Amino acid sequence: MNIDIKQINEGEDSVVIRYKELTPQINRILNAVNGDDNRLKGKTDDGDVFVSPDEILYLESVDDKVFAYTVDKVVRIDGSLSSFMNETDDESFFRCSKSMVINIGRVSALKSLSSNRIDATMEGGEHIIISRRYASEFRRLLKGDR
Amino acid sequence: MKNNKKISIWEAYLTKEIGIEFKACLYFFAILFFYCVYRVVCGVYDASILHMTEMIFTCYIIGYIQVYLFGNFDEAEKLNGKEIAGFIVCTALYVLVSVIGKWFDGNAVAVLAFAAYLLVTYGCVFLIYKTKRKIDDKKLNEDLKLFQAEHKK
Repeated sequence: MNIDIKQINEGEDSVVIRYKELTPQINRILNAVNGDDNRLKGKTDDGDVFVSPDEILYLESVDDKVFAYTVDKVVRIDGSLSSFMNETDDESFFRCSKSMVINIGRVSALKSLSSNRIDATMEGGEHIIISRRYASEFRRLLKGDR
Repeated sequence: MKNNKKISIWEAYLTKEIGIEFKACLYFFAILFFYCVYRVVCGVYDASILHMTEMIFTCYIIGYIQVYLFGNFDEAEKLNGKEIAGFIVCTALYVLVSVIGKWFDGNAVAVLAFAAYLLVTYGCVFLIYKTKRKIDDKKLNEDLKLFQAEHKK
């Protein structure tokens, strides 16, 4: 990416961003310019919105599209679940299956199921199953053993 | 969450296999206990190696049937049709092998008592797993609250 910085002596400060595709990196720059470092830019039926990671209950990947679910809206965000997990510093986000990431901070209750699976009840009332493949890691994370 | 340490398919398979072997040992000891009590009641103070071999192989094979055909019914959340069918079919299979293998010398009363004993054993194991999960629920939710308190901004 080319970076063109020019100091001006008069006139209003301005930032011009030119991009071909709205990648997560561009998104971060946009968020930084908007003063919303941690907020994610996404789309709803009503247009573009910013959503704070704290608001997100869980993320789901459907047909290579990633949707972030909050209590009252569903926001389509760019990138993949893996890119989201690689870029977030928030330890509260946990990959609980191939197609889902949950925000542990927004889990209201956990239930142990047979075959070492875990049922996570989100604040919105949704039940998300943490599969056996991920359950051990989830338990370790809760205990702070990671 | 940068380095996901999720378990591989091989490890998941191994976990299931160990679970079946654990089940085989559990039910083998339960059956052996009944068998030994029966022998003692009959005034016999030794056990047949052949019978014990049959028992362990039967437990192992029925362990597979339990897990793969009847959805691991003794560890199930609820007892629905499939689970109850599992209880009955597996008990019937144990009884059938005990009759063919003459574990109880063709004694009908002992065979019936053995069937009842197996049903009670399955019921107890089901309740034990249920209680274990309840305790686990408590621990999980305690850990969750601690995690949430530590990560609250």
